[in-house]
Amino acid sequence: MKKLVYDIINKLNAQNITYADVRFTDSDSQQIYFEKGKLKYFGSDMDSLALGIRILADGCWGFAGTSILTKTSIDKTIKKAISNARTGSKFRREPASFAKLKPIQDSYLFKPVEDPFLMDDKYKIDYHEKIARKLVGNEKVVYSYVYTEFYRQYKIFANTEGTMVDSLVYDSMTKMYVLASNGKESMCRNWPGDMNGRRGGFEVIREIKLEENADRIIEEAIKLLDAPRIKEERADLIIGNSHLALQLHESVGHATEADRIYGKEISYAGKTFVKPAMLGNFKYGSDFVNIFSDSTNKGGMGYHLVDDEGTPGAKVDIVKNGILVDQQTSQETAALLGVKPSSNMMASYADDIPLIRMTNFCLAPGKGSLADLIKSTENGYYIDFTKTWSIDDNRNNFQFTTEIGWKIENGELKHIVKEPTYFGITPEFWAACDGVCGEEEWEFHGTFHCGKGEPGQSMHLSHGIAPARFKNIVCNVKA
Amino acid sequence: MQFQKELVQICEKYPQLKLNFQYKIWETDFLRFYQSQINYNISKTSISLSTTIYKGKKSYSFSLKDPTKEILQNKINDVLELIDQLPEDPDFVDLEDDLSKTGEKEKTNNIEKVTLDKKIEILEEFSKAVEPYDFKIYGTFICNYRTLYIVNSNGLDKREISSPIYLECKAVNQNNEVTVLEAYGGENFDNFNKDNFAANLTKKTKAATAEVVDVEAGEYEVVLAPRCIGEYLMYLEGSIHVQSLDTKQSYFEGKVGEKVFPDNVTITDDPNHPELINFDYNGDGHIYNKVPIIEKGVFKNFFVNNYYGHKLKMKKNGADGSALVMDTGDIDLSEMIRSVKKGLYISSLHYMNFINRRETSITGLTRDGTFLIEDGKITKVVNNLRFTEKISDIVKGITEIENKSYTIPYSSNYGEFGIYSARMPHVKVNGFKISSSTKTV
Repeated sequence: MKKLVYDIINKLNAQNITYADVRFTDSDSQQIYFEKGKLKYFGSDMDSLALGIRILADGCWGFAGTSILTKTSIDKTIKKAISNARTGSKFRREPASFAKLKPIQDSYLFKPVEDPFLMDDKYKIDYHEKIARKLVGNEKVVYSYVYTEFYRQYKIFANTEGTMVDSLVYDSMTKMYVLASNGKESMCRNWPGDMNGRRGGFEVIREIKLEENADRIIEEAIKLLDAPRIKEERADLIIGNSHLALQLHESVGHATEADRIYGKEISYAGKTFVKPAMLGNFKYGSDFVNIFSDSTNKGGMGYHLVDDEGTPGAKVDIVKNGILVDQQTSQETAALLGVKPSSNMMASYADDIPLIRMTNFCLAPGKGSLADLIKSTENGYYIDFTKTWSIDDNRNNFQFTTEIGWKIENGELKHIVKEPTYFGITPEFWAACDGVCGEEEWEFHGTFHCGKGEPGQSMHLSHGIAPARFKNIVCNVKA
Repeated sequence: MQFQKELVQICEKYPQLKLNFQYKIWETDFLRFYQSQINYNISKTSISLSTTIYKGKKSYSFSLKDPTKEILQNKINDVLELIDQLPEDPDFVDLEDDLSKTGEKEKTNNIEKVTLDKKIEILEEFSKAVEPYDFKIYGTFICNYRTLYIVNSNGLDKREISSPIYLECKAVNQNNEVTVLEAYGGENFDNFNKDNFAANLTKKTKAATAEVVDVEAGEYEVVLAPRCIGEYLMYLEGSIHVQSLDTKQSYFEGKVGEKVFPDNVTITDDPNHPELINFDYNGDGHIYNKVPIIEKGVFKNFFVNNYYGHKLKMKKNGADGSALVMDTGDIDLSEMIRSVKKGLYISSLHYMNFINRRETSITGLTRDGTFLIEDGKITKVVNNLRFTEKISDIVKGITEIENKSYTIPYSSNYGEFGIYSARMPHVKVNGFKISSSTKTV
């Protein structure tokens, strides 16, 4: 396939174009789904091949992708990508630019500890069936599931600057869920939360410890039925890793994607309250808040040698001591902002166009353990496990509900509360952060399902995160 | 179609199995624009086959891209080596067995009809229409063409062609980012009235030049644009799909035949409606005909598919909510707005998510033009607002329905960028709960 990609690049080099890149992906996935203790879905999508060609010509981008890899189809795809750029340039007022990149030839092949695609299928089914069966039996549990997905992607990237990089990655995700009901209302609990994707193979599923947490989530879901809600108008909140990863994702990650500044995503994903003039001076959070984008960390699903336009992987500060200092950028938006490209242009599959995407988007660790943070909280709540999330078009006003919370009194966890819901305005919320836990609590949480773009793409990405405390947050919102 | 015939032959070759195939040939031409210029053009093509194999109550599913008969045959042989080792799904009874067919009409390939040059010509006009107000256009202009073959061991051998068009054009104020939206969706481009579209976009743009103000949280009388009531009903659909009964998440559980909404609310699922994007079959291949959902406020039917129809012993009806139609009322939009002393006009919604599905409690935001109504007139632009509400309460709160309805296109966005539509009027709702302001437009 490298030869195929190389030949296409050579054909494109012979055209009068400014820049082009070519990607090939071969993707495999397998899904296992047990519902109410029974296997409802076991399936796979193997050797899913795709080719994508992106062209910059006459100041306009054009793209064509296909899953049909015959010579006729490939030739048609090349022609279509070029004509999309050239015809599109008739309605392009400001020509898109692309700075020269240093060519890179390299390879990264990840090896999982336990390759799920080489494992015995029966073993994987038995493993999950055992967990699924643990979730049924209690009369108050009216619905439950266990879902696992394994993913592997081999990719070749090449561009007309001379870069040719191939990579192989494995990602896995799993989640179990129970819904308890008393006939009047229902409450749910899941494990390990919605940010449940990790780089790796079957070892990821073992590390998440589904079986060990099954009884716990059943017990909590049932207890939630009779639990009180938060009564205070405002409260101090300690947010656990599983949910704080999503808070970071929605209110900082997406807000600092530079394509949103220029309106490139207005029609679907939205805008951002961040403006170019804010870089270097805008107070995004308290001094405790340090946030960075890091595609050089191999532990996360956002690791890469180069992004999908050939920019080498990079670690870039986005918020430093509470001040907004940079953005997640492409070559084109970095030039507009006058910053160095951050290596965030990624596409889900080769027949998708690259967009500015989070890679490993992280909250830097502070000091101390979660136990220390709780102990130092006189009155508040420890909340975790996302139940619902919503944020506005400008990534400014958000409202989240978690499945469960624990009342904190005088530094100790007391009773649980149901559906804790809080609301905030992004910079005010991050300014209210008065502590982030240390390295000992910092870990990667991630998702397979970050949606963006049109046609929509679901991206695999990770968040390095540690629990943090936020003071005086509005937390009594009801429907 | 040769491969379709081969799928039928494979079904015949394995009488001991139940095979279900969905074979899709799909392409899209997808134009994205921003700042009154092209962002990029995307063309994509794919051929895919989704297969489920049942042996008794044991099953395995797989997808293949652009397969040959030999590749498919080899994959089936692999599955046969595994399938006996899998646990059963005791709820599986049989695959879809509805053999009834529609006319399976040929359709114009709109990718060929609405060329990139044509799209550019149209967008140039819209761009010029809003330019005098210092607005620029942003959005998408999409044409899809898909042929779907559904073949199974019960003798289903069906084909559905679709070629929807979707144009979403936002005009954005270049000084304060106030945004308004106009959209078109359909399969017959001859019905697209460019001049009307430009006139509507310009009218909204003019309204969006008004002063921008904020409003306090609280209960408001609101006029919901057709897009908004359509979106709320689409979220409520989760409670109408029969699967939600099985997962104990349905607001309508035990309510068939019960009065759930006001008398003036009648909603049908009508995939043959002349103003909507039409569908022949549901995902199982069952013929998809008009089904009443709410009749004069009374809940009538769930969307019942093959699997859950068997499991829950309910009669399957092929409906799946891809073409919702709300009956019109008896009041002009201008009269509806005139009747509001102080309230809001909400154009569009954003990022809704359930807090509790069964209770239909939801949070989300307004978007693309929220306006203040004072003394019966739209007077000012309002910052985008957050609502935290029960959808059931919103529908219960409908006091007036417009005497005209509009086609609202929407998209599933992911996968093959499925494009659907709904037919909705404006509605007036009392006691709509605004929970906070975003302080931004």
